[in-house]
Amino acid sequence: MVHKCGFRALSQFPHAATLLCGGLAVVLALLGEVVLAAFALMAAGVSFLVVRHLIGLVVKANEQKYRLDQQLIQSQKLAAIGELSSGIAHEINNPLAIMGQETEWIKHLLKGDNLQAPGATDELRDSLREIVSQVERCKEITHKLLDFARKKEPLIQAADVNRLVEDMARLVEKEAAQNNIKLIRGYDKNLPRVSTDPPLLRQVVLNILNNAAYAIGRDGTITIATRQPTADSIELTFSDTGCGIPKEQLDKIFDPFFSTKPPGKGTGLGLSISHSIIVKLGGRITAASEVGKGTTFTIHLPVASPNGED
Amino acid sequence: MPLKARVLIVDDEERFRFTLKKLLTANGLETDAVGSGLEAVEALRQRPYDVILLDVKMPGMSGIEALAKLKKINPEVEVIILTGHASVDVAVEIMKLGGYEYLLKPCPMDELLAKIESAYERKTARGERLRKAEATQAGEAS
Repeated sequence: MVHKCGFRALSQFPHAATLLCGGLAVVLALLGEVVLAAFALMAAGVSFLVVRHLIGLVVKANEQKYRLDQQLIQSQKLAAIGELSSGIAHEINNPLAIMGQETEWIKHLLKGDNLQAPGATDELRDSLREIVSQVERCKEITHKLLDFARKKEPLIQAADVNRLVEDMARLVEKEAAQNNIKLIRGYDKNLPRVSTDPPLLRQVVLNILNNAAYAIGRDGTITIATRQPTADSIELTFSDTGCGIPKEQLDKIFDPFFSTKPPGKGTGLGLSISHSIIVKLGGRITAASEVGKGTTFTIHLPVASPNGED
Repeated sequence: MPLKARVLIVDDEERFRFTLKKLLTANGLETDAVGSGLEAVEALRQRPYDVILLDVKMPGMSGIEALAKLKKINPEVEVIILTGHASVDVAVEIMKLGGYEYLLKPCPMDELLAKIESAYERKTARGERLRKAEATQAGEAS
């Protein structure tokens, strides 16, 4: 827009060459050089017309570029919506397919005297249980989607981030210990209190710790550390000794519906929700990984609230 | 259904394979099930299946990659894509690679059985035509 207005303004003024020729014509006329003055005047006129035409072309090209940029943004938006819808369809269609099949199997069991066969009632119960479980799976997806779509504005409070992370670490530690996963802490004791939304940050920390434990499976360590790299920011790192993420998948892990977990084990929304929370809190989240060695998630958060609250 | 088709289910959803196998078997079809494209390739090397029901989005080897490999091992096998992921690009790619049909999950059982039947008929007809052509060629040669 700025460029467009700039070119419009420019087009209102004659070019310097036009002014120069015009000025020269006046000087020559004053000196009595009428023929030369006439030539200079003609040159000024031609120069004015040429420059006006050229500026017109530039303005037109610039307007065209602006329109094309807008169309590109619009098509990118549509592509993103398309990709998201396709992801939703896949995640919902799979449980629906299982429910459909279980229903078919129940119908089969109820046909004739099939139900009299040994184990048939157990199979019937099993199918019903599976339908309930797949309904839960769909519910989890739709609820997480709603969470994702809802514009939850952060409620900023002063928080002791070491304490907040430790609370979540203890929660995960109990279950992790059963799989021989150790948690190593490296908290910066001088970490300042941070203006943030504690429940939202807790959600992110819990998600990352859960993912780390899942990536390890059995026997490994999760290293948690906090520090203050600059006066106005803090850094949280979570490193696991899990399976790692291949390079080609690493830049997709924050995309909605991208999951490295097997079907039904992850909705592929956890990290994209975490990403959007951290952005809302004025920070950023990054991941580095090496297959077979593990993954490190790093969160940077501002010490003061992004909106200047609290 | 008086079908004797040998069907292979390829899907990474364990429960989907489990119940679909039960349903197809109950409908008289000889059915096996595997959880990945790699296992499907291995299974087709071991046994001449007539129809393969193949998922698209699977970890490791995708359904598209698997389809190309399966068709290379046995060009006569008919492959029905059964996926929760609708995409025109993928459907076009599948047809190019010789996929027989593209079905979207959840697919009604009657429809699936009808597609398997029609794929099996096509495979049998093609086999018979091939045998006749070979017999004619052999007759001409002698």
